[in-house]
Amino acid sequence: MDSESRNNMILGEEKFRYFCLEFLKHSQDIGDDWEWKNVQGEEEGYLSKTCYQTRVTKSDDGKKHEQEDEILSTITLEGDHEVEDDDNCVLPQGSLQSEVINYEYHVLYSISYQAPVLYFRASFLDGTPLTLDAIWAKVHDSYKPRLLHGPWETITQQEHPILGQPFFVLHPCRTNEFMSSIQGSASREGNYITSWLSTVGPVVGLSLPLSYGRTV
Amino acid sequence: MASQSPDTGDKPKLQFVPFASALDAGFWHQLTQKKLNEYRLDESAKPIKGYYYNGDPAGLPTRLTLEFSAFDMSAPTPARCCPALGSLYNTNTLDSFKKFDKKALLDQAANEIWEAIKSGAALENPVLLNKFLLLTFADLKKYHFYYWFCFPALCLSDGIELIKPPVSLGEKFSKTQVIEFQKAYDSFCQAEGGAPHPYFLIGNSGDSFSMAPLQKLEEFYTEKDKVTLGVYDPCTLAQYPGWPLRNVLVLAALHWGSRVQSIEVLCLRDRTLQGERDIKHSISFEIKLPQVAQSQACPKAVGWEKNQKGGMGPRMVNLSECMDPKRLAESSVDLNLKLMRWRLVPTLDLEKVISTKCLLLGAGTLGCNVARTLMGWGVRHVTFVDNAKISYSNPVRQPLYEFEDCLGGGKSKALAAAEKLQRIFPGVTAKGFNMSIPMPGHPVNFSEETMDQAAKEVENLEALVAEHDVVFLLMDTRESRWLPTVIAASQKKLVINAALGFDTFVVMRHGLKKGKQEEANDSHSGVPGSSDLLGSSLFSNIPGYKLGCYFCNDVVAPGDSTRDRTLDQQCTVSRPGLSMIAGALAVELMVSVLQHPEGGYAVASSSDDRMNEPPTSLGLVPHQVLVKVCNVLPVSLAFDKCTACSLKVIDQYEKDGFQFLAKVFNSSHSFLEDLTGLTLLHQETQAAEGYSGNMNV
Repeated sequence: MDSESRNNMILGEEKFRYFCLEFLKHSQDIGDDWEWKNVQGEEEGYLSKTCYQTRVTKSDDGKKHEQEDEILSTITLEGDHEVEDDDNCVLPQGSLQSEVINYEYHVLYSISYQAPVLYFRASFLDGTPLTLDAIWAKVHDSYKPRLLHGPWETITQQEHPILGQPFFVLHPCRTNEFMSSIQGSASREGNYITSWLSTVGPVVGLSLPLSYGRTV
Repeated sequence: MASQSPDTGDKPKLQFVPFASALDAGFWHQLTQKKLNEYRLDESAKPIKGYYYNGDPAGLPTRLTLEFSAFDMSAPTPARCCPALGSLYNTNTLDSFKKFDKKALLDQAANEIWEAIKSGAALENPVLLNKFLLLTFADLKKYHFYYWFCFPALCLSDGIELIKPPVSLGEKFSKTQVIEFQKAYDSFCQAEGGAPHPYFLIGNSGDSFSMAPLQKLEEFYTEKDKVTLGVYDPCTLAQYPGWPLRNVLVLAALHWGSRVQSIEVLCLRDRTLQGERDIKHSISFEIKLPQVAQSQACPKAVGWEKNQKGGMGPRMVNLSECMDPKRLAESSVDLNLKLMRWRLVPTLDLEKVISTKCLLLGAGTLGCNVARTLMGWGVRHVTFVDNAKISYSNPVRQPLYEFEDCLGGGKSKALAAAEKLQRIFPGVTAKGFNMSIPMPGHPVNFSEETMDQAAKEVENLEALVAEHDVVFLLMDTRESRWLPTVIAASQKKLVINAALGFDTFVVMRHGLKKGKQEEANDSHSGVPGSSDLLGSSLFSNIPGYKLGCYFCNDVVAPGDSTRDRTLDQQCTVSRPGLSMIAGALAVELMVSVLQHPEGGYAVASSSDDRMNEPPTSLGLVPHQVLVKVCNVLPVSLAFDKCTACSLKVIDQYEKDGFQFLAKVFNSSHSFLEDLTGLTLLHQETQAAEGYSGNMNV
């Protein structure tokens, strides 16, 4: 076998499905919220996970929408129909304000790269997306140096091939290369999706419980 | 904890945590699609669907989530979540959003819930208790979405009295009981189809538990006195239940009030962390059932969500960043450029390039190609100056123009080019000035008017040069480059010059003059003139301020070059591919200069420097690049083991056609290597290497 074919760890689409199913099985066992989604009637689908993170807001680093606030206050004032305030059975919410961020991770198969591709986005609870810079800011410091030199540094923006909405994408151009060093080094046949996700995931705030590694 | 209101006695009252709406970006995308393609001007209620989850870690708000699938009523509810059904009212104008009768809307929804409770329909289908309303206005010009959620809840006038305050399940149950409870709950859900139940009845004797749907109350409880209501509870607070409990308590009061005075409530919270399932943080408490009668009118209802500021009012979300195609194009262009930095040139200062304002003098074949390459680099500010109109011969060579632009005498090149740039990428600020540049040897003194005109043109050009950072000389005559060369030298702006011959071209940067003061100091210290240059090797290490301009190598002043020439000498006749190469090189030269810490003052790299450490992340920063089309002419022979054009491959292809191709597509690349003999060659080479290795030992 020549060295090139060893260095080029490609993943066929059937294998991709198989590894995803295995991955899902374990996810279900441990309640890790991964799901397989497909659009109505289409065979094509993707692995998906949504999770929420919360932190207490400081008054100055929340979203700034002064102009919008103004528009809204006029709406409220102009409202012809006074909406009744809550009764005393409602817990006052004042102390509960926190910033909640919704992270969405989708794993799709790329035919051209013959590799899985991680699509992700993050938004506040009203759907306002976080910029890439804001997402970076939330990446754990210990990963940041690696970000600039690792194989997963290539983040770009693309339309989600199934949903048609803009997502950030970890570009798959070097996936095969670094996966072969992971999968190929030892002779063990691990779950490709598990090894791959545990490598690229932490970069964008996605971590896998260790138990995934023990299953296959 | 529970509040003590003086007007309702001393007994503590139960308080509920309202839903917080959670809309993912996909929901707004889908709403936009629906509005454009389906609802259009229809403001009537549309059924939508949300869900809530009881497995959140502590600290998360009690959410009702709507995602892109909210409009698809047949879409499955996400695993382990409970569905909530809603009505969407999408108004056509902000005004009708404002004027919508919110009270009537809430009253109507409350009535439906009340009717479902009275009729018993909600006993069989408890989802009817969890309705929501969503009022929206989508401003699709600005991608602003106004919305107001309502989670209707029927109010019992005196509130609900707490008999036993909330305790966690961990406190209430033994370990065995917790495990047995989980088992019983799981098999109950399995029996009913696997999905969780929003509400259910709980029976308990000792360590064993059982569950049943609400309508089975009579059969389920044999003892007369105790009812335990289970609720799938999305709240994470230890002392309070979430919103879904509210309406079911009205149902309980109405249907079970005659049977029991009080009920026990178990708010089930079921989370899994790192593979560990846990329900011990569920809470349990006991309440007194209030009096509710079939005959009474629909109770008062509340439920409009407060906005972020805690007031009663709508919310607004601005999604232009992820929905406005123009904004998307901009961020995609920038991110794509950043890929270059992340992968190949980590120290590349893109901001410097993107923020550079470029003045393109000439919007012909060179101008078009320079502009396109500038756009490729993400440059946002491009200005064209040209006095010509687009003629029929132009579009094939000048990539910013089309046939249509030539009709009716032709559009102005400068204006058309600017307009086209904007169409290619709306993120660019492009302007065009249809004006001439006065030239040596082209008299302007025919009349006072022509003199004024020329003075004005000079003034305009001076102003334009002052407004920009880099001036590109891309005209078709030598003398037209003179005036901008003078002005730019005086204003100390970087000049990039490209000039085409028939099959040669030169791309150069003009030397960037130092300030007068600095120059004076300079000549003070050294011998005047260029003697310091003569001392060193002739053309090495020439600093940027000593570099020549386009006219430095000529000993005649520019004059009218278009007079007394044959046609092919008058206008630039060059091989068509040349301007693309030259235009691209001109921009690359600019970018390299910008990356150099000294910018236009950078020492000129020469051919000899190719072996040395390059001065910028993008390599050399030359003074001039002179190219003849056929520059490097390598020759290679066809390889008899080529995987594409060797006889073996072509033969197979011609003989077996697609069958052969399919084999190639479906197998690893060793198939082609085996076929052509490359594999054998590799093996032989390896063997030979091994052999010679042994020889050395």
